[in-house]
Amino acid sequence: MQKTASLFPWGWIDRLIDWIDVRVGIRQIVSYALHVTIPRSAHTFYLGGITLFFFGVQAITGILLALYYHPTPEAAYDSILFIMNEVNFGWLIRSIHAWSANLMIVFCVLHLLRVAIQGAYRPPREMTWLVGIALLLLTLGFGFTGYLLPWDERAFWATTVGTQIAGSVPLIGGYIQDFLRGGPDLSALTLSRFFDVHVLVLPVALVGALLIHILFIHQQGLADPEERE
Amino acid sequence: MTENSALSDVMSRRGFLKWALGFSVVATIAGVVVPVIGYLWPPTRQSAAGGGRVQVGWVKDLPVGQAKVLPVNDKPVIVVNTTAGGVKAFSAICTHLGCVVEWNASKQFIQCPCHDGRFNPTTGAVISGPPPAPLPPVRVAVENDQIFVGGA
Repeated sequence: MQKTASLFPWGWIDRLIDWIDVRVGIRQIVSYALHVTIPRSAHTFYLGGITLFFFGVQAITGILLALYYHPTPEAAYDSILFIMNEVNFGWLIRSIHAWSANLMIVFCVLHLLRVAIQGAYRPPREMTWLVGIALLLLTLGFGFTGYLLPWDERAFWATTVGTQIAGSVPLIGGYIQDFLRGGPDLSALTLSRFFDVHVLVLPVALVGALLIHILFIHQQGLADPEERE
Repeated sequence: MTENSALSDVMSRRGFLKWALGFSVVATIAGVVVPVIGYLWPPTRQSAAGGGRVQVGWVKDLPVGQAKVLPVNDKPVIVVNTTAGGVKAFSAICTHLGCVVEWNASKQFIQCPCHDGRFNPTTGAVISGPPPAPLPPVRVAVENDQIFVGGA
């Protein structure tokens, strides 16, 4: 491990990092996490990184919103009003969560288009592409489940229609629809399910897939769009 | 460099850029941290549900056959001096789609401007239009010509 110029103007931070480095090799881990091989001709437009940034915003604002949100039919909409009208900066946190959700999907799709147009999905990077598709589906899952949580008329009917679309699958559609709704109709059970998936299942799944996605990128470096076989 | 020597006595270019960068970083962090701390801080405003009794005016300012829409504990309330039953008060939020209702003085009923829902000013009951339920009554009391609304 070569010595790099210190980032910190205070010597004790470097000594602390050295102390950790001797024991667990922290500098090597950080160096691996920071450095990716990027070909000079690569034009990534940082779309994946922007998507990751929006996910970070979603995680933080989502944790904050869960402090005041109640996932029951009686209290859900009132708790949204409470967040918007009573909680300090509640309107800001909720609005950022809503805007950032849309932007995350936009940049996810732009990232997909960039990779597709440059042919960056080609061997040996097929697995990164497949995990990326999983990440897109998980992100859309966030959107689908999150849309119900305000429990207003628009949310209720959007989810009614959305689950009906799943119900139109041949043969097993009815079972899928009942599974998604937790019963034949939208009810308190549906809200519990969607909340659980939105704040527990999907975040864990997305972070896991994200780590794999980023690990692959670090193992392979970025694709060179000018490289043609 | 030489022509800038007078300026560099005050602050070098590098010094200024360092200061500007430091200020930007601190301002950005503050812009994130302040709303988050504010959000975590327990909300201090009295919520509408916990609001107490409020004096909203005097009977002499509200002749019979007149009404006023007033904010009481952050919620709109319509106070009517009815011909039939004295001073009455109802939630002014239309039970149809949540518009704030108005007083129709010429025809003497409570009217929603959005979809022409009409309510009886004495009972709050729906006279006509799309509202599915009567206007919820709000506790009202007249003491010494003063009108009090809300409270237990």
